Amino acid sequence: MNVPDKTNPKWAEIVTGKKNYPLKFLAAKIMLSRIMRTTGANPTPENISASVNELYSLYSANINVPSAQTDIQTIFG
Amino acid sequence: MQQDLLDISAASELISAGKQLLIAGEENLLAQLPQGRWIGGSIPYFITPGLGGTQSQDKVFVTDISEIVDKCRIHTYTATTIGSIYTDAGSNGFSIIIIPAASKVHATFSVNAPNYKDFGSQPLVGWISGVHLDELAIKKPIVVNGETGEMLTDQAIVMHVDLVAGKTVDVGIVNLFEQGNGEILTFEKDGFESTDVNVNGIKENFYEYLTKNNIDTKLPLVADYYGTMINISFQSLNRNEPVKLYAPVFSGIRYKIARPIENYPEEFSKQLVMSGLQEQQILFSCNCILNYLYSDLKGNKTEQFVGPVTFGEIAYQLLNQTLVYLQLNDA
Repeated sequence: MNVPDKTNPKWAEIVTGKKNYPLKFLAAKIMLSRIMRTTGANPTPENISASVNELYSLYSANINVPSAQTDIQTIFG
Repeated sequence: MQQDLLDISAASELISAGKQLLIAGEENLLAQLPQGRWIGGSIPYFITPGLGGTQSQDKVFVTDISEIVDKCRIHTYTATTIGSIYTDAGSNGFSIIIIPAASKVHATFSVNAPNYKDFGSQPLVGWISGVHLDELAIKKPIVVNGETGEMLTDQAIVMHVDLVAGKTVDVGIVNLFEQGNGEILTFEKDGFESTDVNVNGIKENFYEYLTKNNIDTKLPLVADYYGTMINISFQSLNRNEPVKLYAPVFSGIRYKIARPIENYPEEFSKQLVMSGLQEQQILFSCNCILNYLYSDLKGNKTEQFVGPVTFGEIAYQLLNQTLVYLQLNDA
């Protein structure tokens, strides 16, 4: 399974809270609870881009973890 | 894989046979074990396959992970170096961490783990080591580097594991607590204690708020982390002092007092059935001393979830009043 590219707009929708998904991967949920506060308080393009990079890196590093794979399927189909 | 309470002789045999082990038990027992590929932490309370919740001062709880280990590295971390734990982890496995309660590295990890570089680079689980509750004032929790025999009170011990081919792991938690229907509580600073709390946005003295509302502090504060409930347990309340907690609260997170649980073992079994977990292969698990005490786990079983009872659980970050597990899957 591949992680969709960082330019896919769904990444930005998740980190800004525009879209919510029923995620399973615990590390991503912990990370999102932090980065959504950052992007919510200061939604600059730089902050959104940095948050997308973090989340993308997390899923890329864990693409063999079942809950991360389920999330990628849930988000990107 | 073996997960059970063993006497010193049986545990020593496994170590001498070269097995990779996680060992929990009383400090004087851990001190008798030979050097080898193991890490350990002090605690005399366990959830065992045969007895359920129990305590032992002549046996240690051994989790043998050898079958799924390709390679493993044992590292110690101080409060200064713990920030690199995720960067040091491998790329095809998991890491197990044990931290002595009330140490500087415990405090540092608890407040900062979600901000560490490469957070979550691979699964991280573990526990905070403790002591018998009657010995809180006289003994310090320890962790053990089984490779060197060092017993440490101020460093974390970590086993970074590379998995054998064809296996993957995943981290999960079972938290029976949910947010209750009370006020939204927020805090202005991160930390293990707080003098004030914002109650629905209005600042109040935290101690006064808890006492005047007769809040049962056996129930934790609960935050919603993108749908997962994360607990912060109360440690102590004393007039004219900050309220002390077993894990840090974070500014910007919205907490509520938990809804009470009627019967922990019964609710636990229901949740396992609902989540389909009862059929899964569990490599490691640990549960909180507060669940052991408040939910009467002594003599009660929690299905295939056995392991040490802890002074805090780690699933990527510090948790409270939660069961943490590492689930083994075929790739």
